[in-house]
Amino acid sequence: MGDYWKILSNNFPDYLSGFLTTCQVVGASFLIAMAVGLIVGALRASPSKVLNRIGFVYVEFFRNIPLLVLIYLVYDGINQAGIISLDRFIAGAACLGLYTAAYVAEAIRSGVFAVGKGQFEAGLSLGFNEREVLTKIVLPQAIRTVIPPIGNLIIAMTKNSAILGGSLLAINDILLETRRIYNNNFKLYETFLWATIGYLILTITMTVVVRRLESRLAIRR
Amino acid sequence: MTDLFSPANWEWITSGNNLRFLFEGFFINLQIAVVAMMFSLIFGLLLALANLSKTRAVSVIARMWVDVWRNLPLIFVLLFFALALPGEWYSAWEDNVPAFLPRAYQNGRILAAIAGLVFYNSAVMCEIMRAGILSLERGQGDAAASLGMRYWQSMRLVVLPQGLRRMVPATVSQLITLNKDTTLVSIIGIREIVRHAKTVTNANPFTADFVKGPPLQVYLAIGIMFIIVNFALSRLAARLEERERKPAEIMVTGLEDQVA
Repeated sequence: MGDYWKILSNNFPDYLSGFLTTCQVVGASFLIAMAVGLIVGALRASPSKVLNRIGFVYVEFFRNIPLLVLIYLVYDGINQAGIISLDRFIAGAACLGLYTAAYVAEAIRSGVFAVGKGQFEAGLSLGFNEREVLTKIVLPQAIRTVIPPIGNLIIAMTKNSAILGGSLLAINDILLETRRIYNNNFKLYETFLWATIGYLILTITMTVVVRRLESRLAIRR
Repeated sequence: MTDLFSPANWEWITSGNNLRFLFEGFFINLQIAVVAMMFSLIFGLLLALANLSKTRAVSVIARMWVDVWRNLPLIFVLLFFALALPGEWYSAWEDNVPAFLPRAYQNGRILAAIAGLVFYNSAVMCEIMRAGILSLERGQGDAAASLGMRYWQSMRLVVLPQGLRRMVPATVSQLITLNKDTTLVSIIGIREIVRHAKTVTNANPFTADFVKGPPLQVYLAIGIMFIIVNFALSRLAARLEERERKPAEIMVTGLEDQVA
């Protein structure tokens, strides 16, 4: 047991900086995922056929390509083609954010459709105008149904952020710091235990928060 | 954009064995996904049964096991196994593997790759199966008991056949995720499509007469391979979900960890 504590106390600053970097990447990707996801989700839910198609292509492209291939495509591909030169952190957050946005868009779309046409029509027939129906009747319900799946997507995104540290981007996140610490001491279980705890702190806290929100927002019919 | 579609940048695709080489890599990814999925189904079912066990100690331990593996990044799990498995296992594998298999399988680390994929995915499959079993009305188990069936009899004859049918669509979706995840094994040194793509983008002394591919185009090409296969699978999942959903029937969805 002594070894475990020694590894932690000797390398605490490295673990902490890895943890914080992971949090930063996740935060930046979260903003991108939500912003792009809302736009694409709106495209997917729009009655216009052309806009709908554009949203469809976006979703199917980013949902079906492996994140690792996307990272190579964006970082290696765009850098070597010499179009623009990308910062590693920005490239990583953009890849993770755009990738997750496809899932967010689908969650939003199914949330909007879950509310049902009848609600919209009922609102109109009661004399609300379209904007009022949307903001006062449809969206409040849609947001409730959408929050649990989006919460799960953010948890999955946090796990996926490790791919940024493991791939050619080499962002100094928990994964990369753990590898570095391991290469200094070759104590596998001792080193990886603390990284495991770091990841579990992130993912399990998020799970608890999502469950709380879910039960608070649940519509009891 | 002109750069992306200019014919000079796509010359590599007809040059030499480049395209065949990429397809060979992709085929290895598909094989790894199928093998890992088969093991994950078996271990996932065992974990689900342990989770639902009447013995409290068993269910608590199984619950913790599943929660830990499910909440770790897969790439982290793969790295751990690559470092944790004893070197003798790797050399034993490398000595005994038949020579006709592709190079990916000649590397002992394929054991770590499969182990990592299975530990992670069996935990996910466990959640899907557990939900499938729990979605059955309690009455089914009670009815089986009142007919004089024992616990295992009712599981085997009544609960599992119905519960597992409900999880087929979710399993196909998980297969899509797993298919994408197989690219991560390149990080621990397995020669699959990402490594093959890297070879195509690099000037290789053995293939000097081949045109080397620009990274943007090569990675786009392998991305498209994945998109085609995964898109077909997602259509299949949607189809199955629709067909299986009779008026009163419930399907297990949303538990597959879609993003990965």
